[in-house]
Amino acid sequence: MTVRSTDNGTLVLEGVCPVEDAEVLLQLLQTMPTAALDWTPCRQLHTAVLQVVLASGLVPLGPCGDALVEQWLAREPSEADD
Amino acid sequence: MSALQEQFVTEARELIRQANDDLIALEREGTSRDRIDSVFRAFHTLKGSAAVVELPAMSLVMHAAEDLLAVVRRGELSVNVDTFDQVLACLDLVSRWVDQFEGSGSLTVQADEDGRAMMERLRSFLPRQSASSTRKSESAASETLLPEWASILIAAERDALTSRLASNKSAIFAISYEPIAGCFFNGDDPLQLIRQLPDLLAFRIEPRDPFPPLTDLDPYTCNLRLEAIAAGEHNEIRKVFRLVPDQVRIAAIPAEALPARVSDTNDGKGVLIGKVIEAQVELLRVPDRRDDFAGCIAAAARSATNALRHGDYSQLEATVEQAKTLALSQRDPTPLLAALEQAAVDIAAPLIGAGVVDARNLTDGPQQPAQRVLRVSEAKIEALVNVAGELVVAKNALAHSAKRVEEEFSGRGVTESIRRDYQAIDRLVLELHGMILQLRMVPTGQVFQSFPRLVRDISRQLGKKAELVTRGDGTEADKTIVDRLFEPLVHLVRNALDHGIESPTQRLAAGKPETATLSIEASRMGDRLLVQVSDDGRGIDLNIVRQKASEKRMMAPEELAALPDEQAVELIFAPGFSTTSEISDISGRGIGMDVVRSTIEQIGGKVSLQSKSGIGTTVQIDLPTTIAMSRIMVVETGGQFFGISMDAISETVRVTPDRISQIKNNNGFVFRDRVVPIVALAEIMKLPTKTKDTTVAKLLVVMEAAGKIAALEIDAIHDRLDVVLKPMQGLLAGARGYAGTTLLGSGQVLLVLDIKELLP
Repeated sequence: MTVRSTDNGTLVLEGVCPVEDAEVLLQLLQTMPTAALDWTPCRQLHTAVLQVVLASGLVPLGPCGDALVEQWLAREPSEADD
Repeated sequence: MSALQEQFVTEARELIRQANDDLIALEREGTSRDRIDSVFRAFHTLKGSAAVVELPAMSLVMHAAEDLLAVVRRGELSVNVDTFDQVLACLDLVSRWVDQFEGSGSLTVQADEDGRAMMERLRSFLPRQSASSTRKSESAASETLLPEWASILIAAERDALTSRLASNKSAIFAISYEPIAGCFFNGDDPLQLIRQLPDLLAFRIEPRDPFPPLTDLDPYTCNLRLEAIAAGEHNEIRKVFRLVPDQVRIAAIPAEALPARVSDTNDGKGVLIGKVIEAQVELLRVPDRRDDFAGCIAAAARSATNALRHGDYSQLEATVEQAKTLALSQRDPTPLLAALEQAAVDIAAPLIGAGVVDARNLTDGPQQPAQRVLRVSEAKIEALVNVAGELVVAKNALAHSAKRVEEEFSGRGVTESIRRDYQAIDRLVLELHGMILQLRMVPTGQVFQSFPRLVRDISRQLGKKAELVTRGDGTEADKTIVDRLFEPLVHLVRNALDHGIESPTQRLAAGKPETATLSIEASRMGDRLLVQVSDDGRGIDLNIVRQKASEKRMMAPEELAALPDEQAVELIFAPGFSTTSEISDISGRGIGMDVVRSTIEQIGGKVSLQSKSGIGTTVQIDLPTTIAMSRIMVVETGGQFFGISMDAISETVRVTPDRISQIKNNNGFVFRDRVVPIVALAEIMKLPTKTKDTTVAKLLVVMEAAGKIAALEIDAIHDRLDVVLKPMQGLLAGARGYAGTTLLGSGQVLLVLDIKELLP
């Protein structure tokens, strides 16, 4: 499984995350909306999965393991958002 | 590091400091046009100079900060404490980068990421429509040549592009890719296509329509627009999107529409001229200028031609001049705009003509009040101080020679003449030395400048309210002293905020104003510098001090109880003493007042503390104003000469043996109602002692240092000299008990004792 939730409630994206992960991730996020998301171990992200992350407004724990996402799309937590 | 880079570092630091000061003042005193202008200018200049030394990450961040400040300046955004925090944090980041750049001549990869993140944070403060209006004005230059979406993309990614264009010679394309909603079912992965682009220069992704709440999100409906700028062959790029041609738009970007290729032009002058011209283009494109059309055209043309003349681009200058005439006669800025854009492109092509220009002179010249300051490197001043020091030694040698002439040739007449010359030289050398030392004098305000920020941040962190007052910023002292003062002051200020000053509620309950006052004050007392840090907090609770001291077994409980209050306060200077049970982040980890004291003592200073319970605490630091020159006394013992710093000597006395009594294993005598132990210098130095003649009075030098008093027994006292003390070097570097060495007039090396180490 490339999406999993750890014991302390963090969602982790790992390895190559395929399109199916989008639905799994969305369901996890719907049940635990305040979960933290760690995408450091993820090597490659499918666009659909990225879309879920973007739509959630979450700022994942970086850096993202997917170089393209990390270089261009990753955001750091912003104090201004609150 | 090149001269240009060095200058950048120096100037960047000044600008950062200035912006910091202005921001703090803005926050405290409310928005003032002048202050905002000043901050804006500092950021603008920083952005410009960052481009000159090729630090794209820094340009990027400065650009975003400038956008934010521009909105504030226009009154479209009211600032709050978070805005200030963010802009200050941005300065901190840039300040770290400048340090890094100074150290290694470049920034780490991390800088790009940090910069982007900072940019995002700064942008998040921008009101929505303002962000787009900024983009629009930036993209103005290329509107006529490109589809709008492409120019907006270029403008938004301008800084990312600037940094990446350098190494790129191929054609550049803007790509907008809007995958159809059902693309995921077709097995498409749009990111995968972007990954295949030959040379990605910029990339961003955004929702086509705002995302619904997560509960309503369909994970398999694509609602994204992917925009990219890439370099390469047109065919190559087409091939990547061959399966989705209906969903992608590709536009070639003409060179003119791209930001100037900074790295193509190592010559700072060319970059700057290019920037001046770009600025004129931007100005001309401001729409509401119809009223003063002629003035606007003339001004833009004048700035551009001046800049071009400066760079010896006489042909371009002539073209711009012609275009101006045409524009004025047609009442249309287009010809001038075209000429300026062409000029900017031509300059961006490899440059002829060398020469480096101070970034500030061009970008901000007329706005900044001219302050004629000559910058001299510290090393050069240091060398000058050393030479002057040697001169003092050589002068001392002259007196020695005169003495020899008198003794060996009984040439009284000659000696007289040498003496007179000596006195003249003596006066001149001392004057010269004094003047050179003046070069090293800097105002203590230099150190105080960082404190408003520190106090602001720490008091916020602690949830306390404190106002900092600094006085005597202009009081001068040697640079070494002022520099060394920083750390102890930071510690004292942190202590005051953390331990001294109460929380607002506690203060109100105690009948004090909610906002505490913390003051740092510098003043001159003769040749001493006094620095005082005081707060109106709760003061030091001596009962707690006594209790701690007893817990740490620093003294027996009964001794502690009998200890007068003034001495009990001194306990907090003891090594390892800390009055809070937990080490807090604010006051550091395990660093106590003992460090403050030892740091100050290393530079020849003294620290004292007064505290009144419920009223406040004052720490006073007493320092010499210079350390380059010290006055010493030469003493002899066991046939050897030693120097003792005059600062430590309180008196020299001859004591007859009957006044000396044996106390335990040591000798001592009563001096001004105090028992002073006697130490024989020859014994400490393991030198042969003279046969003890119990009838002859002993020669004693009474010394006080580090709160201890003792008398050194010596054989003879010789000259008192002003010397330049050199630290112990080489093999002797580790030798304890010596403060340094100096040369005597005879050429002999004199060891100067470190009294603190020697006192029992």
